Amino acid sequence: MKPILIRAALLILILTAAAGLAGAQDTTRRTVTADEVNAIAKQMYCPVCENIPLDVCGTAACAQWRDEIRIQLESGSTPDEIIRDFVARYGDRVVGTPQDPTLRALSLVTPWIAAGLVVALALYLLLRWWRQRPALATAAGATQPADDDYRARLERDLQARR
Amino acid sequence: MTDLDLSFEPENTASKPRRGLSLGSIVLIAGILLTAAVFGIALARQNQTQPQSGPAPDFTLTTLDGDTIRLSDLRGKVVVINFWASWCGPCRVEAPALQKVYERYRDRGVEFLGVAWTDTERGARAFIAEFNQTYPNGLDLGTKLAELYRIQGVPETFIVNQNGQIVQFIMQPITEQSLSAILDRVLANGA
Repeated sequence: MKPILIRAALLILILTAAAGLAGAQDTTRRTVTADEVNAIAKQMYCPVCENIPLDVCGTAACAQWRDEIRIQLESGSTPDEIIRDFVARYGDRVVGTPQDPTLRALSLVTPWIAAGLVVALALYLLLRWWRQRPALATAAGATQPADDDYRARLERDLQARR
Repeated sequence: MTDLDLSFEPENTASKPRRGLSLGSIVLIAGILLTAAVFGIALARQNQTQPQSGPAPDFTLTTLDGDTIRLSDLRGKVVVINFWASWCGPCRVEAPALQKVYERYRDRGVEFLGVAWTDTERGARAFIAEFNQTYPNGLDLGTKLAELYRIQGVPETFIVNQNGQIVQFIMQPITEQSLSAILDRVLANGA
């Protein structure tokens, strides 16, 4: 076999092995689309602006955070893991929970209090209606004799006038 | 002839005059009071500004080098606490000045603490490398320090004297001259 052919065969072998290795490396990092990044960013808020979701914010801080999301997705983290990591690093404010402890407590408790009050009110109104139902029927029945008396008196008076 | 008496006043047994408030009214009033309380607290908190005097809130900062620094352990030194972020343009402007002043004053009893606010570790490390910052810098994990000092943005800088009292708050990019002048004054007062 000619040396040139041996060299060519070796070169092809090396290139094939290199391509195989590159392919193997690619499997550890995957390509992440902007939609995937934005789907997670939509659940978080800008660290600088007030109430601007991370996916639509144009600040450099948000661009950096979106880039961080992309890197974490590429390294195989799940959306939940990424959000948990952001909350651990930057606090509850990234998911829209107020920073202030009092407001945070109120924001968590208020919906439950409101729901409880609505349920209590509904139960109270239902019970009141249920209790008043026989009472109303009795009251309606009780007016009948009074009405009869009136009619009887009216008839008597009319008879007397004739 | 008998008088025709057509007056008829049936006894109203169904509706008795109500005393006090109905449950609906109580719920409504409670709701209004709760809403007012929430907005009132939010408004009051919004009006709270960064501390500009008094004792500096104590904290522990874990630096990017892995060291732990407690502010109260630096009592006896003047401490410059600088909040910054790698994505912040004005922070880039002031970064060289901070490093220069640090190099000039570190042997005179002045310590610098850099706190990276809402920054990524990657971004913070790149920023520190870019500006050759040699003073301790750490990430504000959970933005606890920012809450403690009621940070509204970056850069913001607090100067704490030897007794742990905040003597200056700077809400703009610092310059070499202005920071030097402040440190000279604080060091002179503490001497």
